[in-house]
This record gives sequence, structure tokens and C-alpha cells, in this order.
Amino acid sequence: MIDHIIETSQLTKSFQGQPALRGLDLRVPTGSIFGFLGRNGAGKTTTIKTLMGLLRSDGGTARVFGNPVSDADRSIEIRRRIGFVTEDKELYPYMTVEQIVRFTRPFFPKWRDDLEQRYLKMFELPPKKKIPDLSKGMRSKLMLLLAISRGAELLILDEPTDGLDPAATEDVLRELVAIAASEGTTMFFSSHQLSEVELIADYIGIIDQGKMMVAGSLDDMKAQYQRLQIVFPNSVELPTRWVPGVEHVRQEGRVLSILASHNVDAIIEQARSLPGTSVESFPVTLKEIFLEHVRSN
Amino acid sequence: MLWYKVWLETRFRLLFTLGVMGLLLVLTYSTRAAAPAPGARIPVFGIVLFSIPTFVVVICTMLAGAGIATQPSFQATKGLHGSMLFTLSLPVSRLRLLAVRAGFGWLEMAGAIGTLCCGMWLASSQLRGAVTVVEMFEYAETLIACASALYFLSVMMATFLDDQWRVWGTMIGSAALWWLSTHTPLPDSLNIFRAMGEGSPLVAHTMPWLAMTFSLALAAILFLVAFQVVQHREY
Repeated sequence: MIDHIIETSQLTKSFQGQPALRGLDLRVPTGSIFGFLGRNGAGKTTTIKTLMGLLRSDGGTARVFGNPVSDADRSIEIRRRIGFVTEDKELYPYMTVEQIVRFTRPFFPKWRDDLEQRYLKMFELPPKKKIPDLSKGMRSKLMLLLAISRGAELLILDEPTDGLDPAATEDVLRELVAIAASEGTTMFFSSHQLSEVELIADYIGIIDQGKMMVAGSLDDMKAQYQRLQIVFPNSVELPTRWVPGVEHVRQEGRVLSILASHNVDAIIEQARSLPGTSVESFPVTLKEIFLEHVRSN
Repeated sequence: MLWYKVWLETRFRLLFTLGVMGLLLVLTYSTRAAAPAPGARIPVFGIVLFSIPTFVVVICTMLAGAGIATQPSFQATKGLHGSMLFTLSLPVSRLRLLAVRAGFGWLEMAGAIGTLCCGMWLASSQLRGAVTVVEMFEYAETLIACASALYFLSVMMATFLDDQWRVWGTMIGSAALWWLSTHTPLPDSLNIFRAMGEGSPLVAHTMPWLAMTFSLALAAILFLVAFQVVQHREY
């Protein structure tokens, strides 16, 4: 089994001279739930489209299941093993729910009838209803059903919970985790909902302006990143240079707030060396890590 | 199963086409003029030779498609999106998407033309008296071959135009082809519009093989262009 189900190296892509991807390095471990985060226009959808063979990269390499996505024949084989939820959630307006299921099924030899029936019931999708008559949330659910039932080894989900109400979002997330656990399916999903990502992802990657800012295990990242709050007396002159690992420093009165990405003990030691200071450390949320990286860029 | 998608996509267009065809048949059936002078053309020929080529352009416009951008015209304002990403996520080549869509639509077009010719022959006693069933069959063959160029022009346009623009594009393209065929020193034997009218087996009593071959060659070239567009286009 390959270590990384998705692997890109120095991937570049421009649209009419405007760079969308600037040397993207991405590695998605096999069996992981990988949350792909970024602002609007950061390059998430361009990356996903490149992986699906819908766009051709200008440079660099992209491999899925170890196969280059630029090879047209291999790209078909790759798509046979992928479940995909598109960002726009658009499906054929002239089909009903049961017609699109009937249409999609034969393309995928590993189609799971049991999952199809399960999600038809769970998502309460009316089989006879035309797709344009479904709400956006229902269309999202239908797309998830079509992606999951493919029996795919990899699910690529572009904003999968877009349009879902909180209860439905929770149902969907729970099911995604269950599938990843029971079937060993790798999930690569983009989302703006950081709380969702934090809830289910075990790996994350933050992309900004077409470059990977940070990627890795969410647990490791949370363990590495700390928010340090330093209260200091007026007489103290703060250092102009901090030891490596300080990502961001914000001062409000006599309180200094430091976001540290690593080397936390050395930073605490440096802070404590200042006379009369008190230092406290706090765990950080994914939102803080995300905002820190996209703002600093 | 791509054929199933194409069928669901085109069935109402086919129905509309058959509706227009029904009107033409009623018109043909109700044309009962006095017997023409010896050697003069029977009146129903006027309808046949004008309405059928016009109708052929309508059929091509209605039934053509490239299989990727498939939203109906009332959704075309959304741009080239619709269900395109879902279609392209299926494990099939772009050539297959194009070929199945274009091929199925072409079969529907051929069926519609065949039905129209049969219907006209059965509906008009004048026509039955003037041409044999074999000549009518040859006329249908001629129409199908000559319509292929116009059909694949529409297919080619569907690879890069929204549906509503494709419809306009096909009509303008067909008109441009007609203008070129009458205003350039192209031999009459290659004129596909003439082959569907004055040069058809109904009037000339001979098959316009050159025009038919020219049209099929043009259709093949247009299909290749469509394939190149689909293959190299980014979605």
C-alpha cells in the first residue's frame, strides 16, 4: 500500500497569467481524513480539479494512487476509484433522484448497493423527485450518496456540507467518519467550516495564494502550537528578537500574546528571564492556526 | 449508460421536433391543388423542397450536443457549468462522452428525417403519384448525409458554447454555409443545400453522391475539431 494516496510536488497552474497554484506540495496519507483549508481563491478548487484531471497543471507533478493525473488513460482509472462531490453540487436537471442513481451505478464496478439504500433512507431522498426540485442541502446529500456508494478508495469532497443545516451537517460528518473507519476510505475535503474540519480531520493542510502554508497531523499541530500570555511590569523592556518558533506577537498594554509554532519551552524560558513577568500557556484552536498563517502571508 | 443520459437529455427536444414534424405532415396532407399542367411540378413539391431542408436545420439545432456542457437553454445564463463537473468525474474518456452524445443525437436526427420522409410520402397522394417509395428512400438518405455537416457543426459549437448560443451559432453557421454555397464558385455537385432541394433524387432523379460525400467529409472534420476542443479544453 502506498504511503500517500495524493502527492503533488511543485504543482503550478495559472489562468491568463494569474497564478493559482505556485509550487504546491501536498501529501495526503493513505487512510487519513485530510482537511484542506484556505481562503476563497486560495487554490483549493484548482487543486481538486487538477487531481481529478479536469485541469492540466503548467508545471510540477501530481499523483493519485501513485499514478500521474496528467496521463489521460490513468486518469480514467483514477476516477474509477474516487468519489467526488463538486463545489457547485449541480447534477442533471432532467433526471430524478432514482434516475441519476441508476445512471451512475454502472460506471463503478465496486458500487455498494447497501450504502446506496442506506443513504437513500438516511438522507430521506425522494426517488421520484426531479433534481431541480431538491433544495441545495438535498442536492449535497444526493451528491454524497453518489460519491460514497461508488465504493471508492478516496473521497474528494469540495465543501461537502455546503447548504446543509446543522443537524444534517452533523449526520453527514458522522457518516463520513464512520465510512473512513469501517471501509478505510481516505477523505480529502475542502471546507470553510473550521469547526467541522477540527471535528473530523486527522490531518490538515492550509493553502494560501497557491502555496501550502502548513500541513501535518492536526494533533501534532495542536501540540506544537501554543498561545503564550505574558504579563510584564512597565519597567521591563521587551526583547526585539525572540527565539525561533514565535509566529506572531501582539501587545495590549502590559499583556503580550505570543503564538508559538514550536520551541515553546525556549520561548517560555526567554519570557521568564524578563524580571517580574508571569507566563501562561494555552492550547490553540485550528481557527487560530489558520488565521495566523493566512494573515501572515 | 451514457446513452441513457443522452436519451433523458434529448427526449423532450425529440418530442418537440416530432411536434413540428406533425404540423408539416398536416400541411402536406391538406395541400390539394388542381393537377398541374403536363411537365410542371406538382404543388406539394414546393412544400417538400422548402420545408424539409429548413426542418433539417431545426432538427440539427435541437438534437446536437457534445455531452459535457449539458444544461438546458433556460439554465444557460449560469455559464458553462451545470452538471459538467459531475460528468467529467465519471471514469470515461472525453472522446466517449462526445461520441456517445453526438452519435445518439445523430441517430435521433436520422430517425426523425426518415420518419418525416415516410410521413410525407404517406400523407400526400400527389407525392405518391409523382415519386416512388424508392426515390423517397433515396431522398431520405440524401437528407441524412447532407444534414450531417450541419449537425456536426452544431456538435462542434456545443464544445465551447452555452446551449442558447449554440442554437444561434448553428443557425448563423448554417446560413453562412448556404451563402457560401451560392456565392462562391463551388461546383453545384458539391452544394449540400442544392442536394437537399433542386439537386435531390426527387427532382433530379439521381443521387447527389458528390454533395453527400462532401457533407460527410465535412462532418468528419467537424467531429475531429470537436474532439480536439473537448480533449484540450480545461473545465
